[in-house]
Amino acid sequence: MRSALTWKVIANCSTTKAKVGILTLPHGPVNTPVFMPVGTQGTLKGLTTKQLEELGCQIMLNNTYHLGLKPGQELIENFGGSHKFQNWNRNLLTDSGGFQMVSLLKLARITEEGVEFQSPHDGSTMLLTPEHSMSLQNSIGADIIMQLDDVVSSLTTGPRVEEAMYRSIRWLDRCINAHKKPESQNLFAIIQGGLNMDLRRKCIEEMVKRDTPGYAIGGLSGGEEKDIFWRIVTFCTDQLPKNKPIYCMGVGYAEDLVVCSALGVDMYDCVFPTRTARFGNALTPKGSLNLKSTKFAQDFEPIEKGCSCLTCKTYTRAYIHMHATRETVGCHLITIHNVSYQLRLMDNIRKAIINDEFPPFVQNFFKELFGGKNNYPTWAVNALKSVNIELLP
Amino acid sequence: MSLSFNLIKTSEKSLRLGRLTLIKNHEQKVLDTPNCLAYTSRGCVPHLTPDNLSSIPLNGAIIVTLEHFIDVQPPPSTQFPYGIHKFLNFEEYIVFIDVHDPGNLKPKSNNTDKHVSVYTVHGVRQPDIFASLADNITDEAPSVKRVKRSVDRTLRWLDDAINHIKESTQVFGVLTGHKNQEERIRSAQETAKRNVAGFVLNGKCLGSTSRECIDILKSSINHLPSNKPRLAYGLGTPEDILLGVSEGIDLFDTSYALEMTNAGNAFVFSLDIKDDIDSFNRQQIISLWDVNYRNDVRPLLAGCQCYSCKNHTRAYVHHLLNTHEMLATSQFIPLHGIFQEY
Repeated sequence: MRSALTWKVIANCSTTKAKVGILTLPHGPVNTPVFMPVGTQGTLKGLTTKQLEELGCQIMLNNTYHLGLKPGQELIENFGGSHKFQNWNRNLLTDSGGFQMVSLLKLARITEEGVEFQSPHDGSTMLLTPEHSMSLQNSIGADIIMQLDDVVSSLTTGPRVEEAMYRSIRWLDRCINAHKKPESQNLFAIIQGGLNMDLRRKCIEEMVKRDTPGYAIGGLSGGEEKDIFWRIVTFCTDQLPKNKPIYCMGVGYAEDLVVCSALGVDMYDCVFPTRTARFGNALTPKGSLNLKSTKFAQDFEPIEKGCSCLTCKTYTRAYIHMHATRETVGCHLITIHNVSYQLRLMDNIRKAIINDEFPPFVQNFFKELFGGKNNYPTWAVNALKSVNIELLP
Repeated sequence: MSLSFNLIKTSEKSLRLGRLTLIKNHEQKVLDTPNCLAYTSRGCVPHLTPDNLSSIPLNGAIIVTLEHFIDVQPPPSTQFPYGIHKFLNFEEYIVFIDVHDPGNLKPKSNNTDKHVSVYTVHGVRQPDIFASLADNITDEAPSVKRVKRSVDRTLRWLDDAINHIKESTQVFGVLTGHKNQEERIRSAQETAKRNVAGFVLNGKCLGSTSRECIDILKSSINHLPSNKPRLAYGLGTPEDILLGVSEGIDLFDTSYALEMTNAGNAFVFSLDIKDDIDSFNRQQIISLWDVNYRNDVRPLLAGCQCYSCKNHTRAYVHHLLNTHEMLATSQFIPLHGIFQEY
């Protein structure tokens, strides 16, 4: 199908499947592998779009379900889309809305027609169809939009998984037909099939025939065994075409980003770094610091030595401890740092791949984060071994 | 350290233009008056990160509340080796400290002499100016005896403060007397005899209208020497500030901007005032919660140069409030509100 992006791989790791690419979207370039912070309701909680730009963020998420409820499709359409509404001139990605229906609404029911749910406004029954999702996403106007898929929990087994996979293919066709702006918005297919390789293979075969501008790996990060998670990821990156970006949905822990990049994934999103910031947790290469803890009350170091973000340049841990979860400024300052940390991590991953020093980068990263062999998560050791990286003792 | 206050221009009425100059470690900080001290909570201007704060012409003075710092012992700011200015990232600013929160005066009428224990500037280290502890009365109608006691006690505390304060910090005396004219005059006259660098007038809980409140404060102001600065709490609305300036008040705090922000209100007054101040009753604020702004593509205030107005619409701010997103109350409205106060 028609595409509104160009995708160029500029460096390949000689050891793993990691690669660096430049994804050029209607609102500018995106360097991959990329982590995309989540601005659910048309705002990354607490930060201005100027601050996000200054942090080097090239693409952010908005959630279709939320924007569809408030401010509503008509208003956002009148404003000329979400970029203008929130004054963000870089790229946006929207999800289909289906995931929120299933995860937020207990009363959602999925039929061949779409996702039936009760309106949180008045309790009336509403239906999100692939066509409706496309219409909403066309109004929001994000640079990358996602197909409506039949989401089942990654813990589900049996025929429901197969049904969801085939239905997702049928819904992809309906999305392609309903998509009004293929010249300015890139529709990504979402690979389903649960934890079953055969189903994943079939799904990929069918979806690749549709030739969408990019592909997402869906249905993961739902509490499944991590040792199965990475095997599905690496299976999908092996099966998917090399000339399209691959997006692994809902991944955002630092070690997951490093491992999945080694397995060949190009894009990620997750609410974790920004949500945990609001609970007072700051991310560092040595792990997360809970700044609410009184042990930071007299700590006059920055959150992370050497970090160049506004927060670390300006304030001590003791100062942030005074504000964490008490003043909104505490949220803002930690959010700024955490977004900065995530984006810097991705930047370091890209630099290491370009210099063909990715394996030692991964080794040092794990050593610093976990301290040593005894603390490495088994799944990560296995995943990295599969792409020829042995972690340091 | 030295603090000087020079009147640059005075009118026959009480209007005055002044300049407060602080010299410390050979560095000079200047504050032209009338002006505002930026209100802080726990040492931060509420909701604003330093980059956003720097986009507001704050003019260089903040007010810090001791109460906010003493819940952890020892307060971290006292352990930080480089002083309160650096700890709070207000190195360029004159730091004024009061024991009590000027924007949130809780009932403290049950003060006793034991409150002297809060005297030592304990929670923060080396502010530039601090307000002596005051026995503020927040009751509606206290007895004359109670008012007299508060004036006496406040003066006694002031003497203690002056005796104990480090040379590097200046003291402002707090004027009391509630609504009792004689006691207000006594408080003003007695405080003026002491070695204070300026005066604090607390207008909270006095009078139900701006005019009433100012009239009460006036009985104190009339007995103050003209050569020292006067800071007023509780005068925050545009009307309050204009009235205060006209009666010779030099400094205000910005807690009203925070109050408006938290309510989702934005200032929309124009400073093009040709009318008499008392008739200054045009619309001053709009509530961004109002569903009428849902589709409003205009900025909060046309022509305003603040970040919010230059970049965003009323509709977007309404959306953020409506979805309980903190960006609204926590960056845009205060950016605009504090900007407008200056």
